[in-house]
Amino acid sequence: MSLDHIVSVTIGGLTVGMIYALIALGYTMVYGVLKFINFAHGEVFTIGGYVAAFTLLTLGVNDGMSAIAVAGCLLAAVVASVLVPMAIGFLVERIAYRPLRGRARIIPLLSAIGVSIVMQQSIILVFGSKPVTIPTLALSSASIVVGGIRIRVLALVIIVVSAVLMAGLTYLVKSTRIGKAMRATSQDMEAAEMMGIDTNKTIAFTFIVGSALAGIGGFLVIMYYGSLKFDAGFLYGLKAFTAAVLGGIGNIPGAVVGALVLGMTETYGVSVDLGFLAWFVVAGLVLGLYVQMVRIPRRRLQHIAEDRRTPEYERSLLNVYRLTPYHGVKTLLAERTDALLSVSAEHAVRLMAGNVFLAVVAAVMFVNANVRIDTRWQPVIAFVVLMVILMFRPSGILGEAITEKV
Amino acid sequence: MGTILELQGVSMSFGGLKAVDSLSFDVRENEIVSIIGPNGSGKTTTFNVISGLYEPDSGDILLKGESVAGLRPDQVHDKGISRTFQSLRLFSNMSVLDNVLVGMHSVTDAGLIASMLRLPKVRREEAAMRVKAREILEMFPGRFSGPRQQQPAFSLSYANRRRLEIARALASEPALLLLDEPVAGMNPMESREVMEQIKVLRDKGYTILMIEHDMHVVEGVSDRVIAMDHGVKIAEGTYTEVANDPQVVEAYLGKRAAEATA
Ligand SMILES: Nc1ncnc2c1ncn2[C@@H]1O[C@H](COP(=O)(O)OP(=O)(O)O)[C@@H](O)[C@H]1O
Ligand SMILES: [Mg+2]
Repeated sequence: MSLDHIVSVTIGGLTVGMIYALIALGYTMVYGVLKFINFAHGEVFTIGGYVAAFTLLTLGVNDGMSAIAVAGCLLAAVVASVLVPMAIGFLVERIAYRPLRGRARIIPLLSAIGVSIVMQQSIILVFGSKPVTIPTLALSSASIVVGGIRIRVLALVIIVVSAVLMAGLTYLVKSTRIGKAMRATSQDMEAAEMMGIDTNKTIAFTFIVGSALAGIGGFLVIMYYGSLKFDAGFLYGLKAFTAAVLGGIGNIPGAVVGALVLGMTETYGVSVDLGFLAWFVVAGLVLGLYVQMVRIPRRRLQHIAEDRRTPEYERSLLNVYRLTPYHGVKTLLAERTDALLSVSAEHAVRLMAGNVFLAVVAAVMFVNANVRIDTRWQPVIAFVVLMVILMFRPSGILGEAITEKV
Repeated sequence: MGTILELQGVSMSFGGLKAVDSLSFDVRENEIVSIIGPNGSGKTTTFNVISGLYEPDSGDILLKGESVAGLRPDQVHDKGISRTFQSLRLFSNMSVLDNVLVGMHSVTDAGLIASMLRLPKVRREEAAMRVKAREILEMFPGRFSGPRQQQPAFSLSYANRRRLEIARALASEPALLLLDEPVAGMNPMESREVMEQIKVLRDKGYTILMIEHDMHVVEGVSDRVIAMDHGVKIAEGTYTEVANDPQVVEAYLGKRAAEATA
């Protein structure tokens, strides 16, 4: 397997991951503020792509035009694919979610599913049920050669544009007045109101920003793949939602990390030999061992009550984690142990099972080093990787931002 | 001196329970008024109604003669009423400084685009707000100095979280400050310190309505005391008058007697 191949697979993975990230941010921001999954968000992405395509087709963009005219068409498409989703995000929140706020959690969720169906049908009504396709432009198929490796310019554009947008979003949330209002609202909506924040406005703003990002995602996808189906938002939305959970729902950097992990997993899983993939499993195993041997025990030590803190007790707690299965099983089977030890032993045995699983997987992969997994297994691979990660980190890679860390 | 807050026959019930029952009182400018009463007598609910969390079933609430009943909490805050909470409600994952800056939300107006572009006007406003936030935090000498301002609020000690709540409420320079049990859970030394700070606030011209159980603090700072029981105002006057009022004594003693037999 050549370096060229790995570089181009990596770029492919980053590209897909960044698209997922643009959509995942909308899920995670809305969840952060409202503790609610906006299932209609995937459709906002589709609408962004359709509106962009519609604009390009209406303007009759083609390579015969002058460069300036093409640029003008693209600009118009970008603007449309941002503004229309923004308006839709705003209206959906206003009409379908705000009146239901404060009801049982399941109710806005049902409303979201309804909205998602309505939006999908609307796309069919307005644009028809056939996939929308844009003419191939020289620009969207252009590629450059770096160090003998051919790279599609558009892939780089997607990666750079998304990264810039995410940096902007981070700045917005961290440092601006409205961003502080968003964070305050997500932590305690009532208290935020009593500190003078108009939470309705803040929530509407959150929907608008999330929809704009999804809209841009739609534009980039139609440019990259050249066509889009009316139900594309379902799968993209599902994956982006998964990415948000994987990174830690409600956590903005988490959504990006989760999306990149998912994009890379999907792409690498079916594009490189098992022998190469095995090294990722090995990396996961190293991380898993670190979690089991160092990180968790260190945290557990803090849970020992003051009056029980003796060096022997600390050592027996460490042993449970470090020398499992022997000490873990011994502790579990012992007749009288204290609660902290037996809980820790159970935990340690579970972590150990995860690590053994990773080791076995790595071994199997090394044995079959030259095999490449069939593309049809892509979802299965992604699923297994997600489950393993969430087993070690139930609250996602970077953790849920909204849970109070006391 | 003008009247800042006036409650006119305010009632608030939850289901069948009348938590606040035709309550009337006023708070005049630069005055410290304390509300006392046994647990469950409707003190916090009174604060919640004033700050717009609930709309009163009947009655009116006037701030400087203007009705604020039925406004949203953020609108009430804009009008000049800010508060602290009995059960701490800081923005735990935000830094100490950011908590105070959120308290200034209603007195700043940096728009989104101007903020993203970091226009000079926004930068000036932000710098001014930071200076002001630090000044407010310095009201509590040594408690929020230097690097501690960048720490998340959840990492603070309990007493410091209570202090930060007061700082956050002060950030908008409210016409009326509502303090819900500001020294609850503090040791006597910390309580005394907070008491002195409340006096400083009065010297600075603030008007304060406070709920407090600690009678030393109530005696130490109050210009006037209002006693409540079962949602009703049962006494009003100076600390000595209220503390010796037979109905007040009964409300507290009755409770204690009940506790003794239980
Ligand atoms: N949101 C609410 N829903 C139902 N009952 C409430 C609510 N808030 C307060 N109450 C009830 O109203 C009464 C007064 O409570 P509260 O104002 O918190 O008392 P205090 O602050 O004087 O201890 C209590 O019986 C309490 O249970
Ligand atoms: Mg109370």
